[in-house]
Amino acid sequence: MLTFLVRRLMLAVPVLLGVVFVVMLTVELIPGDAVALMLGEHATPEAVAKLRDYLGLDKPMLVRYVEYVGRVARGDLGRSIQQNRPVLDELADVWPATLELTVAALLIAAVVGVLAGLVSAVWPTSLFDAVARIGSLFGLSMPVFWTGLVLIVVFAFWLSWLPVGGAGTPAHLVLPAVTLALPSVAMVARMTRSSVLDVLREDYVRTARAKGVAERLVVSKHALRNAAIPILTLLGLQAGQLMGGAVLTETVFAWPGLGRLIVKAIFARDYVLVQGAVLVFAVAFVLINLAVDLAYGVLDPRVSRQG
Amino acid sequence: MTRFRNALLVLIAGAVAAGLLASAGPAEAQKRGGTLTIVRPTDPVSLDPNLETTAPGAWVYFNMLEGLLTLDAKMQIQPSLATSYEVMSPTRVRFKLRPNVKFHDGTPMNAAAVKFTYDRALKGTPPARWASLAGSLSGAEVVDDLTVDIVTREPYGPVLRTLAMYCMGIVSPTAVGKLGADFSRAPVGTGPFKFVEWKTNTHVIIERFPDYWGDKALLDRVIFKVVPEEGARMIALQTGDADMVLFPSPALLPALRRDPKFTVHETTGIRVVFAGLHAGMAPLDDVRVRQALLHAVDRKAILDNIMEGSAGPAMGVLAPGVFGYKDMQLDRAYPFDRAKAKALLAQAGWTPGSDGIMQKGGQRLSLSWLAARGRYPKDGEITEAIQAMFKDVGVEAKVQVLEWAAVFQQVRGNPFNHHMFTLGWVTSNADADYSLYALFHSKQVPPAGWNTSRYANARVDTLVEQARRSLNQSEREKLYFEVQDILAKEMVWIPVYTTKEIVATKTAVKGFTIHPVEYNLWLGKAWLDK
Amino acid sequence: MAISAAAALHAAAAPLVDTGRLSAWGEFRRNRLAVAGLAIVALLLIAALGAPWLAPFDPAKQSLIEKRAKPGGKFLLGADEFGRDILSRVIYGSRVALIVSVLSVAVALSLGLTLGCLAGFLGGWTDVLVMRATEVLLAFPYLLLAIAVVSALGPGVFNTTLAVGIWGAPTVIRVVRGAVLVARETEYVSAARALGATALRVLTRHVLRNVLPTVIVYSTLFMANAILVEAALSFLGLGVQPPTPSWGLMVSTGRDLLLVAPHVATIPGLAILVAVLGFNLLGDGLRDALDPRLRGRI
Repeated sequence: MLTFLVRRLMLAVPVLLGVVFVVMLTVELIPGDAVALMLGEHATPEAVAKLRDYLGLDKPMLVRYVEYVGRVARGDLGRSIQQNRPVLDELADVWPATLELTVAALLIAAVVGVLAGLVSAVWPTSLFDAVARIGSLFGLSMPVFWTGLVLIVVFAFWLSWLPVGGAGTPAHLVLPAVTLALPSVAMVARMTRSSVLDVLREDYVRTARAKGVAERLVVSKHALRNAAIPILTLLGLQAGQLMGGAVLTETVFAWPGLGRLIVKAIFARDYVLVQGAVLVFAVAFVLINLAVDLAYGVLDPRVSRQG
Repeated sequence: MTRFRNALLVLIAGAVAAGLLASAGPAEAQKRGGTLTIVRPTDPVSLDPNLETTAPGAWVYFNMLEGLLTLDAKMQIQPSLATSYEVMSPTRVRFKLRPNVKFHDGTPMNAAAVKFTYDRALKGTPPARWASLAGSLSGAEVVDDLTVDIVTREPYGPVLRTLAMYCMGIVSPTAVGKLGADFSRAPVGTGPFKFVEWKTNTHVIIERFPDYWGDKALLDRVIFKVVPEEGARMIALQTGDADMVLFPSPALLPALRRDPKFTVHETTGIRVVFAGLHAGMAPLDDVRVRQALLHAVDRKAILDNIMEGSAGPAMGVLAPGVFGYKDMQLDRAYPFDRAKAKALLAQAGWTPGSDGIMQKGGQRLSLSWLAARGRYPKDGEITEAIQAMFKDVGVEAKVQVLEWAAVFQQVRGNPFNHHMFTLGWVTSNADADYSLYALFHSKQVPPAGWNTSRYANARVDTLVEQARRSLNQSEREKLYFEVQDILAKEMVWIPVYTTKEIVATKTAVKGFTIHPVEYNLWLGKAWLDK
Repeated sequence: MAISAAAALHAAAAPLVDTGRLSAWGEFRRNRLAVAGLAIVALLLIAALGAPWLAPFDPAKQSLIEKRAKPGGKFLLGADEFGRDILSRVIYGSRVALIVSVLSVAVALSLGLTLGCLAGFLGGWTDVLVMRATEVLLAFPYLLLAIAVVSALGPGVFNTTLAVGIWGAPTVIRVVRGAVLVARETEYVSAARALGATALRVLTRHVLRNVLPTVIVYSTLFMANAILVEAALSFLGLGVQPPTPSWGLMVSTGRDLLLVAPHVATIPGLAILVAVLGFNLLGDGLRDALDPRLRGRI
């Protein structure tokens, strides 16, 4: 177990190095210059050149990469090009809000999704099943800004129950978390339904039922446990996507999160900020994947631990 | 003689302005106190003009930092931290500073602070973002405690208007020394408001500075909130969460104008949004084809249906309010007339092909068009609308909508491989030199300048060079008029609209005057009628 | 997706009696929801292929005066902000919707199935490499990926579809790998290998068959996402170019009008919903019909 953990954590290092390299390379190759964009329409080419020189942007990419990795090893994520502010500070501004939103959305997705999927599986082709399936598809197909704005109009405008946007109180969290969670709820519900249906049809389940084991026990002990792996895989992946892909939700609800920060940085070609954000992100991913893999082992001992 | 006359003129101007301000006194008793909540789309990058020249930062720091001169809502130069000036030589202007002015940190504003500000911006490492806006400005020199000289490298006609720009605020040397890089997030100036707090991507708060040299601010506090979604901003106004909305939704303005609970403040701005034509690339090198394209566009329909009153007609390549502006009478010279467009194309040798698209010698009249979406109001929409209008006269436009970074790179690059591009140009210092030189001088082809159209006319070159170096404002004006006359005949732009600065507020927000320059959001006289 | 020994044997018995194809179709036909799904997808195909004959107006023809016309009258479903007929644009938009959803799934599946199976089945360093590469891709900001694809290949539907497909691949890889990991440990598979069946044979005949249902379900869910991701990309200038209609782009550009003319954004949104519904019902039906253990039961 310990060797497994250590090995995985060590393997995380090349992943992080790789991500930083790919990001740097990509920004290098795509059109757009951070300094020219920043200085804007008024800048003379000399001013742009001077600032690029000052920021050390004209050094060859590999040199910059090595320097960057060296700095990161010392805990310094550099300074953003746009604000010349430490990247750590910029990330610290958005990290708590991002965690809050991601965890809230994930909880909603897990709880509501699994429950709905479970009920659908236990009573398939019932009215609930049909309504749940179509309803969840609705949440999945309508774009975030549509559902978000509709929710704002209904709950903040007509009913005045909740604030329009921003962050701060738990009330501010409700609408963005629900909006963000909707597509995930649909996916989790569907996956749960599918997996549990499969398991419920297994012979050993029939055997258990025939032996007189209570339905509840059948469902919770056998069905859910065995159906858990694909659901867990999905939840793990959703966690990552919710974290970084919440940009549309953050925009609609004025939520100061990581998604908007990264998008803004990409449009400004502020690769230092993008790298820093992606690095933190990647670390989170690796940890989540690790957790999911560990859970695999717990849930299904037949799965031998892989690197 | 000139120096004395200029000084006298400034004093008279100042007196008149003071008189106007006094006579425009409130009909109702102003109330002190209260917090004004403003919602706008983005957070600033910095509150230091050295690092931020775009609106999100300017809106805030315009109320905290003041320059030597300022531009009033009628686009006239007014004294601010300077009380008078004198032109010593074609490259030197002497300013007398207002006495007894304090920075927010209590230190005095004086010539040394002015010199510090300009040195920091023009000679610092790295130089200020606005250094490129400063033209030939080279620095400031201290004469005595309350007298400072502004020096230019060569005679620079727009010098006063440049000094009146929003980003020329004087900063406190003590504060810069103490805060270092953090000054960017907590600036110290002489304005009626001082900095309180900045929570990134959430809000910036400023509050009244009790020791302000002029009329103290009436509001206690102002909160600038970030609400990126347009619909959400409008809802915030309706629910009362916000008192003022910047960049309101054009489609909702008619309803707001009719509603007595809200006020829509609007005035013509100084940005012109246009479709640029690459005059160096066939078939647009033929002036008849360019003129045909102008006739093909129904600008009024665009203004009425896409901009819906949120923008004004573009009368030329400059906006009214810019010094040197001439109404180029485009609606009379190039009215919407499809028949005329087709006739001009026929004159140039283009005849309709079998698919309805004009062709000449086997070549189809197909233009490639580069545009961004969301950089300027409705830029993507007007591009699409004009694309359809072109189709009606047999011109095919292949539009490529890319994100701004990619568009910027190409428009600012050499060579430019498209026939057309959609762009907006703001005359930042409200002086024609800023636009006409950078956009139409033959040597200002990118990457040196912004002449993406590759327009070249020797007479225009001479005129804009002369006007730039002259300090005689009436002479400069005449020169710019001639430039615009020439441009009117050779049109390398299809000007679409002139921006309107529009701010929507609750009617309870009083004392607020909208300014043509989008960065000049002055809250010094605003108050809340509760 | 867990397979017990008994179920595995049961599954093993199935291929010996090849009533496979016939009863799958019969199974499918009996499932009314699945048939509805098929009907919707067929409708989509007809709309895409027959657009020039079905659409009442030219989808690019503008009439600024009639902007945001309400549904009914000249424009059956109303007009957009340029006065273009929404019904015609929805019909033509089915082309982009089909291309994006089907092709991106194809890309994601080909990448995902290959790499996922390789990783899960071969294990060892292959698994490590694939998993770490997946993590790099997942951590990589999607927007940057899309911009990179577009700058390299140019904007347009097909290149955007490629970007969307690459985006979807990691999830497929992980899901497939997870299922393969479980499947290969069953006694049945070990038995088969002991009997001398080659790894490839075991993989394709037995492991894949058990992975397929999950993959089908995930694919149909992914299609909805694909359309929405394309919408966001087109809105940012990385997708379809004007005046090509795309449902996603219509919703994106219509969002500013939500408070004055909600039909402009909502109708294409409903089109997305119906398409997604169709794909999902079809997918569920396929899965239920193809899964051998369900045959003979409801």
